[in-house]
Amino acid sequence: MSGIKRRQILASAPLGLAGAALAGTALAPRNAAAAEKEVLIGCVYPLSGPAAQVGHDAQAALQVMADIVNGNHAIPMLMGKGGGIAGLGGAKIKLIFADSQNNPQIAQSETQRLITQQKVVAIVGSYTSATAVTISQVCNRYQVPYISAENSAPSLSEQGLTWFFRPSPTDNDFSQAMFDFLEAHAKETGKPIKSVAIIHENSVFGSDSARIQTGLAKKAGIKVAADISYQASTPSLQVEVERLRAANADVVLPSSYTSDAILMVRTMHDLGYKPKAILAQDAGFIDPTFLKAVGPLAEGVMSRSSFSIDAVKSRPAIPAVNAMYKAANGNKDLNDLTSREVTALQVLADALNRAKSTNNMALRTALRETDIPGDQTIMPWKGIKFDKTGQNIEGNPVIMQYQKGEWHTIFPVDVATATVEGSF
Amino acid sequence: MTASLVLQVAIGGLLMGLVYALVAAGLSLIFGLMDVVNFAHGQLLMLAMYAVFEFHTLLGLDPLVQLPLVAALLFVLGVAIYRGLIARALAVRFNTGMVQIFVTFGLSIFLVGFAQLVFGTDFRSVNSGLLFGRTVAIGQIVLPLPQIAAGLVCLLAFAALMLIARTEFGRALEATREDRDAVALIGIDRNRIFSLGWGIGAATVGIAGVMLASFYYISPTVGDSFALIAYVTVALGGFGSLIGALIAGLLIGLTEAMTALVIDPSLKQIGVFMIYVLVLMVRPRGLFGRL
Amino acid sequence: MVPVNTVLRRRRQELILGGALLVVLAVLPLAISSDYLRGLIVLTLLYAGLSQGWNILGGYCGQISLGHGLYFGIGAYVSTVLYVDYAIPPTLGLFAGAALAGLAALLVGWPCFRLSGHYYAIATLVMGLIALLLVNNWDFVNAARGITIPFRHQSWVALEFRFPNFPFQYVMLAYAALAWIIAWIVEGSRWGFVWRAVKDDAVAARSLGVRIFPSKMAAAAISGAVVGVGGALYAQYVGFIDPDSGLGLSLSVLIALPAVVGGVGTLWGPLLGAAVLIPVQQLSGAWLGGAGNGVDLMFYGALIVALALLRPQGLVSLFARRPAKAAEEAHAG
Repeated sequence: MSGIKRRQILASAPLGLAGAALAGTALAPRNAAAAEKEVLIGCVYPLSGPAAQVGHDAQAALQVMADIVNGNHAIPMLMGKGGGIAGLGGAKIKLIFADSQNNPQIAQSETQRLITQQKVVAIVGSYTSATAVTISQVCNRYQVPYISAENSAPSLSEQGLTWFFRPSPTDNDFSQAMFDFLEAHAKETGKPIKSVAIIHENSVFGSDSARIQTGLAKKAGIKVAADISYQASTPSLQVEVERLRAANADVVLPSSYTSDAILMVRTMHDLGYKPKAILAQDAGFIDPTFLKAVGPLAEGVMSRSSFSIDAVKSRPAIPAVNAMYKAANGNKDLNDLTSREVTALQVLADALNRAKSTNNMALRTALRETDIPGDQTIMPWKGIKFDKTGQNIEGNPVIMQYQKGEWHTIFPVDVATATVEGSF
Repeated sequence: MTASLVLQVAIGGLLMGLVYALVAAGLSLIFGLMDVVNFAHGQLLMLAMYAVFEFHTLLGLDPLVQLPLVAALLFVLGVAIYRGLIARALAVRFNTGMVQIFVTFGLSIFLVGFAQLVFGTDFRSVNSGLLFGRTVAIGQIVLPLPQIAAGLVCLLAFAALMLIARTEFGRALEATREDRDAVALIGIDRNRIFSLGWGIGAATVGIAGVMLASFYYISPTVGDSFALIAYVTVALGGFGSLIGALIAGLLIGLTEAMTALVIDPSLKQIGVFMIYVLVLMVRPRGLFGRL
Repeated sequence: MVPVNTVLRRRRQELILGGALLVVLAVLPLAISSDYLRGLIVLTLLYAGLSQGWNILGGYCGQISLGHGLYFGIGAYVSTVLYVDYAIPPTLGLFAGAALAGLAALLVGWPCFRLSGHYYAIATLVMGLIALLLVNNWDFVNAARGITIPFRHQSWVALEFRFPNFPFQYVMLAYAALAWIIAWIVEGSRWGFVWRAVKDDAVAARSLGVRIFPSKMAAAAISGAVVGVGGALYAQYVGFIDPDSGLGLSLSVLIALPAVVGGVGTLWGPLLGAAVLIPVQQLSGAWLGGAGNGVDLMFYGALIVALALLRPQGLVSLFARRPAKAAEEAHAG
């Protein structure tokens, strides 16, 4: 167990005890003096159940960013100087984690607890869309900013909520990037992509992704040779893989969580099926645990991502941040999810710094005025700037490929660090 | 849809069905003996799989070599669970049926938390060994060696269970099942028989876990989906019937694969459940149930 | 046989006690200013009502159902779809939800009541799972994406509140009270007598000419409808419903658990069980869950084991004036 986890146990247990005993009102003014020593930020993630692993990675990633702001690491990025939040007199960030158990109702009540009992100034979360729906609504009611770190369902920013901010691109952007890549690749090789096979888990993430991809394929004139949906955590994917083989598409497009991604790739291997190309919708396929579990079988897998770990030239902060994260979380590299969690907290820290206050109205104004150039973050994006719905308009996804045991950026060309391998 | 595809899928489904059957066998055995449904059954499977992973990582033991080791470990665990909890639940004077359901249910929550504490939440898998990644090709049909081996071992385990049923212990077991109180008169220690029953039931799941670990991922919640199928398998085959568990497991594996092939993979469990409901309409006690 | 007038007196005392408790619970929210504690009260009362509904079939009638998530989900989905798609307010929609949930309970009961003991439990579990799988693939109700109920305006008719925790304390209190009074009525009715007789000795009851099947169907319908109302209220409180949170297997167990812990087949068991279990579950999740190391699950699991073993007749037995006598009464036909 890492040091971070132990510290959190010690920090959160007594606070919770005291918190529950205290009686607080819903609309208590939150404009405490700017000179306070600590800024509390609530983080709602699944910390138990099948999605717990993602939650634990998020804990480590967010704590790394908090340490960067609080400590003295001098990372070359915005808020990387350390020494706390200057605009708040050097106040330190303190994270309070809550377990959503991946259940919308528990996410709701835990968010309420963080806001009303712990008096957090903002919420960061939450990985799954179902929990993001209830968390974003609670935040809107209590007028506390919700920074959605990695929820990618487009509908979240279409709810008309005024306390919702999402630095990350959405599934629309991601799927668009995948098809842009396929088109560009076809042009380059002169070999058109004739068909794709979509395979997806049948909850929100997978079915949304498949819906968007089907639409984009139709628009691009690409045949959808198979559209296979399966129940997440299924005991066997043999038939699904057989159907993929039968479809014999140019590119397989999976949208799967880690457990199913592991099973899928191993089943493909066990049944002796090698797809011409795999272009994944992120999630399980970029999880370091997936790579550890399937080892060399992942070679050549491509995935959309919003993070390029190899973009060190244009994003000088990456090596240092990655090193801190690796040390904190079992030698895992930063990935698409954890990098966006780091960035979400960075956006929040920057807004607090400029707001010079933890007052919710001032904080929201500062968030709305966010304008961070891409090279001040670890993301390959143009920058971070929110539109009226709270959606970042300068976040552009990339396509990565796993080559010789490492992820390399292969698209778009201007940020690419390697060329595409494989013939499709 | 070619004939070889159908055959490939059918054989794959049957091999998976053998694993389902073995997971269900332990559950069925325990039920037949003392009328207890173990709702922590999936967690026993999960613990067995983690044991394989840890022995593999720490000692470099091949999963196959671990078979006796993990089976023994699970046997001890099964006996401990019986002595520590189930014996007490059976001694309760009120709501016995309900108490045992919720005791094992509470135990299942506890064990998931325990696994999360001890093993963490990262997905694990065993990535080497005698069987790892090997396939066997028969004509156009390609079958993974780990699954063939799993199927064979499951069949062997069934054979062993049926042999046990013919021994003196087996007869004592049968007698205890028939009349719990009368056996005391002929000098059979009921408690000892029940302990052994739990030990053997858990060891059976342990064997299934070892074979599963050589081609499936491992996580604290991995037991859930297998346990669910096991409950349906046992109810379909008939509580307490070993042969019922075997036939029902095969039927479920085949139905699942065929539903996924012909209709829709996301509905494959619906196919299984429909068969189950149909059978229950005709035979309320399952295919081979007597109790 | 207990003398009739003793039974009547006891039932009257229970009614008075229930009324007194209702008054206390109605005043309690006024003394609480923490929105989080209000939320806890809302959930506790919700589960008290749900479990009371389960208790009618699982407790009084002795049919251990592990599929009540199905009726909860039907209530939740029916009222939500009616509201979001057809603008019918949930205060009306919940009746439709309850009716359909009761009907579904009859449909499930028809094949399942021929099964005994564990066969019945597993069959109800499978019925719940079939529904979960179907809804997961059913686009009319948004499949796995679930349905969001957006907040539009403050309204008691639509049960929409900017800060729902305070008003929903009363909504859920009304619900728990309704479930309680239904249980009180059926307990004293002819059906209640039949259920107890069947539970004690089905063969003897049948030989006395008791028609078992219709009485079980009645219990199923009432039980399903009560749980369906709870589902509708839950959806409106949370503002979101999806297959996992509305129909999941763990939900079915959560509905049954308070009654089991508090005392199955008793009037006060579900309420007592919910009052202990829900705060413990929520608070252990809040205090220990943030660490994410599984200790909260170990604690909660161990608690269920301990309560089931130490208090098999339920927490309610702690309050029984004459435990031996009460047990005797429960067993008297």
